[in-house]
Amino acid sequence: MSSAIRTERLSKTYYSGFFRFKYPALIDLDLDVPEGSSFGFVGPNGAGKTTTIKTLMGLQRPTGGGAWIHGVPIADPSSRLRVGFLPERPYFYEHLSAAEFLDFYARLGDVPAAERSGRIQKLLDRVDLARFRDVPLGKFSKGMLQRAGLAQALVADPDLLVLDEPMSGLDPIGRALVRDLIIEERDAGKTVFFSSHILADIEAICDRVAMVVGGKLRGQGRVSELLSGAVESVELTLRKGEKVERRRVAPGLSDAAIASAQSEGYSVVSVHPQSKSLEQLLLDEVERAKPVVTKHLGVLN
Amino acid sequence: MSRPAASGIGPVATRIYAVASNTFREAVRDKVLYSILFFAAILLLASLGMREVALGDRDKVVRGVGLGGISVIGAIIAVFLGVGLVWKEIERKTIYTLASKPLPRWQILLGKYLGLWITLAVEVAILTGLYTVIIGYQQGMPWAGVYLSMAMLMLELTLVTAFATLFSTFASPTSASAYTLCVYVIGHFADDLYRFGQASDDAGFRALTMGLYRIVPNLGMFNVRTEAVHHVVVPGSEVLWATAYALGYTTVVLGIAMMVFERRDFK
Repeated sequence: MSSAIRTERLSKTYYSGFFRFKYPALIDLDLDVPEGSSFGFVGPNGAGKTTTIKTLMGLQRPTGGGAWIHGVPIADPSSRLRVGFLPERPYFYEHLSAAEFLDFYARLGDVPAAERSGRIQKLLDRVDLARFRDVPLGKFSKGMLQRAGLAQALVADPDLLVLDEPMSGLDPIGRALVRDLIIEERDAGKTVFFSSHILADIEAICDRVAMVVGGKLRGQGRVSELLSGAVESVELTLRKGEKVERRRVAPGLSDAAIASAQSEGYSVVSVHPQSKSLEQLLLDEVERAKPVVTKHLGVLN
Repeated sequence: MSRPAASGIGPVATRIYAVASNTFREAVRDKVLYSILFFAAILLLASLGMREVALGDRDKVVRGVGLGGISVIGAIIAVFLGVGLVWKEIERKTIYTLASKPLPRWQILLGKYLGLWITLAVEVAILTGLYTVIIGYQQGMPWAGVYLSMAMLMLELTLVTAFATLFSTFASPTSASAYTLCVYVIGHFADDLYRFGQASDDAGFRALTMGLYRIVPNLGMFNVRTEAVHHVVVPGSEVLWATAYALGYTTVVLGIAMMVFERRDFK
């Protein structure tokens, strides 16, 4: 399977202040987002998620390593031809109406003139903004702006959607709408790459996930694979006659526990490894990365 | 794969036109522009009153004040809109969605510059129309040289706007306004700089002023308003040279602006 996004040792270091203190925001990131996957990019605030996305979208130049979108190096603007992007907390031209706004981005995305108006109307219907097509964006609520932003990301019919915290700050109805849109795009075979620190959303939508903490990648792969590597305990279901009993043991002790139960006359009904939640996994990674994070902050201070 | 990468002049022109028309639309929907235009209209009307207080050839004074007014207002609008051209995109973070589109940054900058240029051309055309009505009412149809002087003003604004755009790529509107104003003032005194140097006996000083004279834009060459007022014909060669100068200088300044813009990180 080819990659929609691939990075090799991608790094970004910021320099701040008069003495140009170094702050490595992204360190040797190796990311592989297969085409057709729905890929969650998780990490706490300040982990480097937005830096990664901005670098991929050509808004910042990497200070090391390389990155490719659909096999094209990110330094080439045509790498973003089949990409729809929604930045975190979108800011848009307040003087444009919703329809003008989408028309502007359709032109920039090389959408043929004959297709523009039809596609814009369809998208406005899809994000429930058709009634507001001639209203200036300056009068939109936050949720409406987010929906307009999603329509903007979809206007050139991209194969890859890159969404930076698409659900942050939205009410439950707005979140459901965004979630449904992502699922629809995923089911249509598009690649969806989105960052979030709301892990319930990631677990509900994504088939793959990458975890970044302190600017470093802490793991990536299928959600099930990542969680299977993080077995917290094993639950044994045992039966003796009518009596059913459940015992929870540490992963390394399951064989001994089974033998002991059998010697007590129990038969083993099932053995279930109990995985950590994605949230617990992330918290553990944050805990493990603490010295690194503290070191970075120390440099800044 | 939905579409192959678009190439060729067509898509490039479409993208630049999209950015230019968006910039133009933003400018004409800005209320501040109308305030400045309203002020300009009042100034032009007030120039009629100059006839009553002026000495000498009163008609010429009215014509001169009117044309001078249009050039000053033109420069104010060029600076006012130009210095925020790129800065506003960064401040409002609209640059995130714009610069992430599949177009090279130079196309964004060129589109924004052209949008601003069209805004200025429309504004100068409106004021020239108003001038024609006012002078026509008082003195009969203006002489053709007046329209040449306005075309030369547009050449001047082409260059001033390029500087404002350049400063806007790296400086805040306040600093960029100051820098552009400096260029504007120095540019209008370029000839004086040359004469000042020539009057000195010190060879080093003469070389320094000559060097500066060659670097700073000579905005004085675009001012043919006095000729327009006095009905003096401007030689065609002078107009051609001014056009080539404005276009050449603008290309260099915009080229530098594109290089600066290309290297910027949008945090």
